[in-house]
Amino acid sequence: MIRYNPFNWILLILSSLVLLFILAPLAGLFIHTAPSDFFETAGDREVQQSIWLTLWVSFAATFISALGAVPLAWFMARRNFPLKNVVQGIIDLPVVLPHTAAGIAILGFISRDGALGRAADAMGLNLINNPAGIALAMAFVSLPFFINSARDGFAAVPEKLEKAGLNLGASRSRVFFTISIPLARQSIITGFVMMFARGMSEFGAVVIVAYHPMIAPVLIYERFSSYGLSYSRPASVLFILVALMVFIMLRIVARRKKITQITDDAEA
Amino acid sequence: MMLRLENINKRFGQFALSDINLNIREGEYYVLLGRSGSGKTLLLELIAGLTFPDSGNIWLDNEDITQRKIQKRNTGLVFQDYAIFPNMTVYGNIAYPLMARKTGRKAIFTAVKGIAAGMNIDHLLNRNTQNLSGGELQRVALARTLITSPRLLLLDEPMASVDASLRDDIKGILRKLNRDGHTIIHVTHDYREAVNLASRAGVIHNGRIIQEGLPAEVFRKPVNKFVARYAGIRNFFRVRFTRERGKWKAICPNKLVFNIEGDDHSGEGLIIIRSDDVKVFREKPGGEHDNCFMGTITDIIPCVYGMELLVDAGEKFFVDVRQEEFEQLEARELSDVWITFPARAAVVLDERI
Repeated sequence: MIRYNPFNWILLILSSLVLLFILAPLAGLFIHTAPSDFFETAGDREVQQSIWLTLWVSFAATFISALGAVPLAWFMARRNFPLKNVVQGIIDLPVVLPHTAAGIAILGFISRDGALGRAADAMGLNLINNPAGIALAMAFVSLPFFINSARDGFAAVPEKLEKAGLNLGASRSRVFFTISIPLARQSIITGFVMMFARGMSEFGAVVIVAYHPMIAPVLIYERFSSYGLSYSRPASVLFILVALMVFIMLRIVARRKKITQITDDAEA
Repeated sequence: MMLRLENINKRFGQFALSDINLNIREGEYYVLLGRSGSGKTLLLELIAGLTFPDSGNIWLDNEDITQRKIQKRNTGLVFQDYAIFPNMTVYGNIAYPLMARKTGRKAIFTAVKGIAAGMNIDHLLNRNTQNLSGGELQRVALARTLITSPRLLLLDEPMASVDASLRDDIKGILRKLNRDGHTIIHVTHDYREAVNLASRAGVIHNGRIIQEGLPAEVFRKPVNKFVARYAGIRNFFRVRFTRERGKWKAICPNKLVFNIEGDDHSGEGLIIIRSDDVKVFREKPGGEHDNCFMGTITDIIPCVYGMELLVDAGEKFFVDVRQEEFEQLEARELSDVWITFPARAAVVLDERI
């Protein structure tokens, strides 16, 4: 029970203002969108394709990044080495870069003059204006969220448990997969969701790498710049709703089961 | 010699294990006493291979295992707080070492059932580990370690997280394991565990092993103040030694004089007297006593088997009395009593170590 002394009143007012600041524009967006426009947009094939593209590309980017990001996160949590702070700085770098600048950097990397671009070109793949290029741009700006969350998760696993695993005769990789990852699972999934959500909402870096095929944020921008505010609203509302649904769904999956059980199946 | 540590040195931040030499015989129950931060856990980790020494060698069964991988050492370490894997059931925990060795499923099942029955935890096998008691967790940890029959069992503070009422159970299990032939190194800060379990005891302080021997030896004749503290001794006296008519005396700062034994003392020193060596009487006791002083009871502290009295006889003495003795004494705070102790009870500590 909160007691209403002046401090609590001030706390309450300031907190409400912050929440209002987040909710008011969103509420305005919803209020100003007529249901008929909304349903018309929801039926628009271009919009549907763009939302679907955004979702699967961001998911794929996150999933593939996880293969490298999870081991890196463990390494950052467990090992001390010279210049560790510099490495951590490199991991955090995409957070502070202007995203358009990040987009330019990626474009240079994947264009036919760049190293990756040449390699892809040799395989007959053009990364510019291609979902693979979009995935790269999304991953570049959102990877720190995944790595840092997973790193905190690994750091919270008592090192003693990993040592016990080794002492019981398990190899390092076995300990990693049977003890470290299951116990850091919650933070890894949280990081996954954060990276996925961040990648999904990316505009700046993606728009430079690929205007087409259009991901949802680019589509919203395109509708706004070509037709104006009212025309871009229904698409925004739809994308926000889809993003929210996916976000909630992933949170539920993450919370569903904390304990992996190794059951006595020999008995069965 | 089954395990031999030769001149082990290991620096760990500000702390260092220095010149550790340790020999453990097959079937021995060795208890290493030390405060937290004395280096006892680090020593176990060195033996288990969780960390490697800066210099020195570790021999197990006449093989140099100093640089051998942790998985190949055949030592079983039971951690303080047990390090039970919370993401697995009791069965999963106990089966873990065998799964790591790729043992067949049926064989794992038989082995887990067998060892769990031996530890009296077979009814817990399908349980999660979150709601187990300290004693149950300890049994799971022991079962999990013993299932691969390690040559050497290393126990880090095995009683620290167990309720007092369950300590005797665990001690019973450990004694049985030792009787069944397991060689055990057990580190603790509690001297009572050494008294109860050890066939040999050592004391580690500031990264050095400062005394070793039979538990009775270590506690009767501690080499210095730290060992005496570990042995639960509370009567310490800083004294000056003199010799009168061929007998040694120790003079306390406020002139109380003890008769002590020994052949050679010089200058100043530190004397300990075990509180159960001091007897207390209502009236001045008859007969010859090496040391007999009158004092005042300044504090009465209840303990398990009776009372601990703090008697001020010019110097403060802690005296243990059993409940019956205490009742006969009819002692209250500030009542006057007489205390006696034999000259041999005053042990002179070596302060150079």
